Amino acid sequence: MLGVVVRDVTVCVRGLAEPVIDLPSLSIAAGEKVAVTGPSGAGKTTLINVLTGLERPSKGQVLWSGTDIARLSEAQRDAWRARHVGIVFQDFHLFSGLSVRDNVLLPQQLRSFRLPPGSRERAESLLRRVGIERHDQRVETLSRGEMQRVAIARALQQEPGILVADEPTASLDTESAKGVISLLIDLSASLGTTLIVVTHDGNLAQAMDRTICLDRGRLVMPAARAA
Amino acid sequence: MIPFRFILADLRRLWVGSLVVVLLIAGATALGMAVNLQERALRLGSARAAERFDLVIGAAGSDTQLVLSAVFLQPSPLTLLPGSVLQALTTDPRVAMAAPVGFGDSFDGMPVVGTTAAFVLDNGRETLLEGRAFDAVPEAVIGANVPLAIGDQVKPLHGLPGEGGHTHGELSYSVVGRMRETGTPWDRAILVPIEGVWRIHHLGEGHEGASVSEHADAADHDHEHDADDAEAHGAGRIGPPWVNPPGIPAIIVKAKTIADAYRLRSEYRKDTTLGVFPAEVLTRLFSTLGDVRKVLSVIAMATQALVAAAIVLVCVVHLAQRRRQLAALRALGAPRSAIFALVWSELLALVAVGVASGVALGYVGARVFAQWLSQASGIVGPVMLTMQDVWLAFGLLAIAAIMATIPGVMAYRQSTAVALRA
Ligand SMILES: Nc1ncnc2c1ncn2[C@@H]1O[C@H](COP(=O)(O)OP(=O)(O)O)[C@@H](O)[C@H]1O
Ligand SMILES: [Mg+2]
Repeated sequence: MLGVVVRDVTVCVRGLAEPVIDLPSLSIAAGEKVAVTGPSGAGKTTLINVLTGLERPSKGQVLWSGTDIARLSEAQRDAWRARHVGIVFQDFHLFSGLSVRDNVLLPQQLRSFRLPPGSRERAESLLRRVGIERHDQRVETLSRGEMQRVAIARALQQEPGILVADEPTASLDTESAKGVISLLIDLSASLGTTLIVVTHDGNLAQAMDRTICLDRGRLVMPAARAA
Repeated sequence: MIPFRFILADLRRLWVGSLVVVLLIAGATALGMAVNLQERALRLGSARAAERFDLVIGAAGSDTQLVLSAVFLQPSPLTLLPGSVLQALTTDPRVAMAAPVGFGDSFDGMPVVGTTAAFVLDNGRETLLEGRAFDAVPEAVIGANVPLAIGDQVKPLHGLPGEGGHTHGELSYSVVGRMRETGTPWDRAILVPIEGVWRIHHLGEGHEGASVSEHADAADHDHEHDADDAEAHGAGRIGPPWVNPPGIPAIIVKAKTIADAYRLRSEYRKDTTLGVFPAEVLTRLFSTLGDVRKVLSVIAMATQALVAAAIVLVCVVHLAQRRRQLAALRALGAPRSAIFALVWSELLALVAVGVASGVALGYVGARVFAQWLSQASGIVGPVMLTMQDVWLAFGLLAIAAIMATIPGVMAYRQSTAVALRA
């Protein structure tokens, strides 16, 4: 379980005068469940990228339990992310041609020659917890809701301290979305993972500890949403 | 590292593209390979065929045709040399061996060639596979691949192989020896004493006491008066020296020294006779063929370059389509080196399979062509892979390994965050 303190972070991109995000101060406690909301283009994905080390901020500090990942090299950030972060994408990014089980095991294999003992058992128990029973099934033959559940199992396989999901239900029907939301919340609670979810879904936001609202790259009062 | 299963799944998913890439590479490699192998086979094969023939003397005409007839036993109507040339050569002090070769008959599709025992034994430098050389007219020595056995009878047919004709009922040879395999058209030839050929065509025997036949023209005589006439000449002596021998199509000459060979050649390059070194004619022939080969290798190389360009293009397009997949792998924790290795090794695997099957394809192609060639011409071209070909294959792989770094580096350098948005 990790918490983060963000200080004076801005991300500037070429061709834009205004920074994409500009956050003087933001902190998320270890184990906290946070929803990130805001209109399209507000900088939600950019924030997630900065928090997970996929993107380096133009300036500022991103301190995860004391480690400033903004100062790590690209290779170090890759290693840090692999160690601490589980990611769930909007469009799953599962790898077709591989079985459900192999997809869950893949991130672990990317970093080591040999799977640590117990990996398969953990993968299978996680898959059962997200309600997937046929582990040899080719992943491309699943329904979209099932695919996202496999992606959640994959994100949790290496016991990450942080679980991040960028609009995980945006491409799902309401029924599947509900299942995915409750899985994210239940599993991160029982595994003690800090959860950060970008969402437009009011239900999901409601179920979280806190909501961070972004607009044109800046934090705005969550109260604005309630009003 | 990227699991092997992932690479397999990737290649399976992209099997159409992979197959096209493999086939392109295989085709281009095979083309270059076959050109090399075939050219080498043909060169070695015909050089081997010409080995025995130091100097060939025939009637004035085309030197290429003389060589093709005398060395490669290609059926063609040669003008006859007057017998006096043979007589002069056999008594020439510079000549170690002068063997007449007389064509025109065949047996079961195989050429029957009249010559001397000395030629059969390459003037004492060769031994036979079995049996002995002929020492009387009704005896024959067969080439290594002639499907006859010692003791079999050969009744020549007048006319060149494949032309049909009529049998010379009057003379039948019995096989007394078999030559070693030479990989030349002579492996399918039946060698008989030249006197037999002369006798069949009623030209006399070229020896004292044997009267020169009144039927001077070989082509159009009747065969009514056969047996006793032939028998009358009897089991006469064979081989040199001859007295007033009849005309022959060509004479194979071994000179005592190289200088003698050159002198003899120039002496016999006159109005009515032609002296050639087959090796020289072949060299000239092959320099023409060499130009053809050069054109072919340029074509092969251009093909390979085009294929290489096509593959780079395919890779770049393919990479653009894979950006998101590769970015996702990195987001999930793959180190950059693993991404490079993935792209590079997938590409190299395809190239390796392509080059390997191309080498095999080229080899088989050259073999098939050589087989056809040896059936058509009797020249056995030794198609073999040498270190040179191995290096060529490795060279292609090395080039591919270097070229594959381009997409590899492109994949390595792409920004994960940007690629994930795509
Ligand atoms: N690499 C980049 N180059 C140019 N513009 C970018 C880049 N990254 C983000 N942006 C811009 O920054 C803004 C915020 O993007 P994003 O974080 O994806 O928003 P959200 O996820 O909230 O929709 C958008 O206007 C986007 O076009
Ligand atoms: Mg977004």
